[in-house]
Amino acid sequence: MTRPLYLFREALVNMWRNPMVVAGAVLAVFVSLTLALGAVVLGEIVRVNTVQWQDGDHVIVFLKGSADGITLESHIGLENEIADWDVVESTRYVDQTGAYEEFQEIFANSPALIREVDPASLPASIRIQLSDISRWRDVQLRLIDKPAVRSVTAQGTILEGISGLTTGLNVGALLLAVIQAAAAVVLIANTVRMAIYARRDEVGIMKLVGAGNWFIRIPFFIEGLLEGLLGAGLAVVTVALIRPWLAEAGSAVDLIQLDVADGFFWRRAAILILFGGLAGLAGSTLGLRRFLKV
Amino acid sequence: MIRLQDVTKIYDGGTVAVSDVALDIPKGEFVFLVGPSGSGKSTLIRLLLREEETTRGKIWVAGKDITKLPSWKVPYLRRTVGTVFQDFKLLPQKTVGENVAFALEVIGRPRTVVHTQVSQVLELVGLDGKAERFPHQLSGGEQQRVSVARAFVNRPPILLCDEPTGNLDPGTSVGIMRLLDRINRTGTTVVMATHDHAIVDAMRRRVVALDNGMVTRDQHTGRYEEGPSQ
Repeated sequence: MTRPLYLFREALVNMWRNPMVVAGAVLAVFVSLTLALGAVVLGEIVRVNTVQWQDGDHVIVFLKGSADGITLESHIGLENEIADWDVVESTRYVDQTGAYEEFQEIFANSPALIREVDPASLPASIRIQLSDISRWRDVQLRLIDKPAVRSVTAQGTILEGISGLTTGLNVGALLLAVIQAAAAVVLIANTVRMAIYARRDEVGIMKLVGAGNWFIRIPFFIEGLLEGLLGAGLAVVTVALIRPWLAEAGSAVDLIQLDVADGFFWRRAAILILFGGLAGLAGSTLGLRRFLKV
Repeated sequence: MIRLQDVTKIYDGGTVAVSDVALDIPKGEFVFLVGPSGSGKSTLIRLLLREEETTRGKIWVAGKDITKLPSWKVPYLRRTVGTVFQDFKLLPQKTVGENVAFALEVIGRPRTVVHTQVSQVLELVGLDGKAERFPHQLSGGEQQRVSVARAFVNRPPILLCDEPTGNLDPGTSVGIMRLLDRINRTGTTVVMATHDHAIVDAMRRRVVALDNGMVTRDQHTGRYEEGPSQ
């Protein structure tokens, strides 16, 4: 038991006596993994917001009103007809009062605009949620010539645009995370290698005194592991501190949610810390290889 | 204790550092390796430590043929051979006590044993009370004493010294030689490469002279320059 304790103590003493080298390695891990975790969180934010869009109303049918000779009964009749279609999951009727309430909610920050708008000018509508959103064009075509219909807005066009954008963002975020993770390993390897290079005479002396390769290696491994864990831990703390601030910023915009679920975040954080430790070990292994020839 | 049989070392590039050297050094002997720079003294020490491998010939250290030693066993060889160098080779980030203790830590001695033996050997070399100092806080002579203490702390049967007084003034050198003599009297074989005439002449021990990698003289109790053996 003496030896493992001795080797662990050796690593801690080495770190204590080389604060600049340790700080360099920890910062290298910290910067790379903060960006990597940031990219993972960004990817999740994009996914969450895409799901929200996909869960919303896919097709909105704006209806003509009494001025055009269209009655409430016609509105209800049309809604019932649409609800029977195979491709439709559900329908919701929003009358003029409901439309005005929604308008007030959306433009809550623009009271002047709300004052200018006459509730009677806002049309009633039928909100349709599709069971298969890829068929939104068929639904639009079937509705457009109905006498009670003023216009049809398909969220599908927006969805298609957003879907393309979010796929791009997701792939970009994933790519960024992978690049940052690879950069972390390279940076740690380089930093540990420089640390060992600076102490190559020391390694030579240890060998002269009869220290075996593992006896020399293990404190460096522990050092790399601790530096990796410390850097990754700092990265997690940093992103965890940014999260509430980001969520608050996101809450100001109705349609966007700039936060991720706690479970998602802490699971990824645990993986990141594990990765930091492994990257530290890998860095030490790569860094030591050259200096341990007998 | 040490035996070299027709040992030749040729470095990459063709430089012949040691040529057909044959030597027998019995247990407890004190041997000076003398000769000008480039005569092969340091290469011989490096061969005995397996820092270099022979091109031809065989070397036995403490009964083992070290030319056949696999790399992973080299640390075990070095634990039986204490080494002292001109530039002290101390670990700068470790204190005096830690430097000396390191030679015991690598062979897995328990902490209580390490503590006792380090205290004893520091007292032997006259550095008791300086265990907590760092090498840069000591004089050259004191640093060499730490180096000797580290080399001797696990009581190796052989002590190899490569110009141990090369960086020291004459007065300090005498102190180091007294220490090495004292260690030799405990039965430790000492092989010391040097070109310090005064020390060799004063000690009157076995002298092996090298020139261009070859043994040119081997006297039982000799002087630095060639003269009648006694």
